[in-house]
Amino acid sequence: MIEPPPEKLTPELIYREYAPRIFAIARRMLGNDADAEDVMQEVLLLVIRKLDTFRGESQLGTWLHRVTVNAALALRQKRANRQKHEVGEVSDNMAGAAPMTPVNRWSVSPDEPVLAAEQHEIIENAIKTLPEPFRDVYVLADVEGLPNSEIADMLGLSLPAVKSRLHRARLRMRDALAPHFEGGMAS
Amino acid sequence: MNCQELIDLLLDYVGGELVVEKHRTVEIHLTGCPNCLTLVETYRHTIRFARALPKCERLPSAIEDRLRKLLAPHLEGKKDEG
Repeated sequence: MIEPPPEKLTPELIYREYAPRIFAIARRMLGNDADAEDVMQEVLLLVIRKLDTFRGESQLGTWLHRVTVNAALALRQKRANRQKHEVGEVSDNMAGAAPMTPVNRWSVSPDEPVLAAEQHEIIENAIKTLPEPFRDVYVLADVEGLPNSEIADMLGLSLPAVKSRLHRARLRMRDALAPHFEGGMAS
Repeated sequence: MNCQELIDLLLDYVGGELVVEKHRTVEIHLTGCPNCLTLVETYRHTIRFARALPKCERLPSAIEDRLRKLLAPHLEGKKDEG
């Protein structure tokens, strides 16, 4: 099968293909629709203005991740300056990441899960409860699938710091999801 | 290796980034520790669930309307037709 030629980068293509993606990343990082909308609008205006400087969609995709993360962090900083904001003290030390407590098995398929709407909601809500520094790394690594080195670069962190935050985020997510999946799939 | 040491190595273990000797030490611990075995299993489920989340979804209609208005000057010949 012949691959179709890559579509020309136009504002319409950016609007159609990238707006939902940018919105999803921003909403997961910021935890609400209003802030995610602000970030999406800012990023889309920026990318449309710079459209001529991109050679193709692959280059644009990487750049979009970066500007979306930057815009989300900047908006969060602006909010934090206005109001007292719980960011949470974060230790970037892997040791002692979790206390040893008994854990129970989950009744889930070993195959790639297809999430039902309620399971999807449980997971999205658990992400919202993560402290921001953990949430940022978790969203970029485990939801978006970006390499740790790229995340370190984007967030201005060392690689060990990214790995430590990711590990702690996963343990917190595991703890948050456990009551819903122990002994039977959440329905 | 004790359970806490295993937890500290978990990210590298599931990511396949441990050197052979460490990897083996973890596997030996897991054969005799059902609690850690379950922890590893549920940690992996947690990663799979995150990967299964949709990367994007349809924008809420009010947000889409505002965005379309904002970008209207840039969206050539694409006026809303219904």
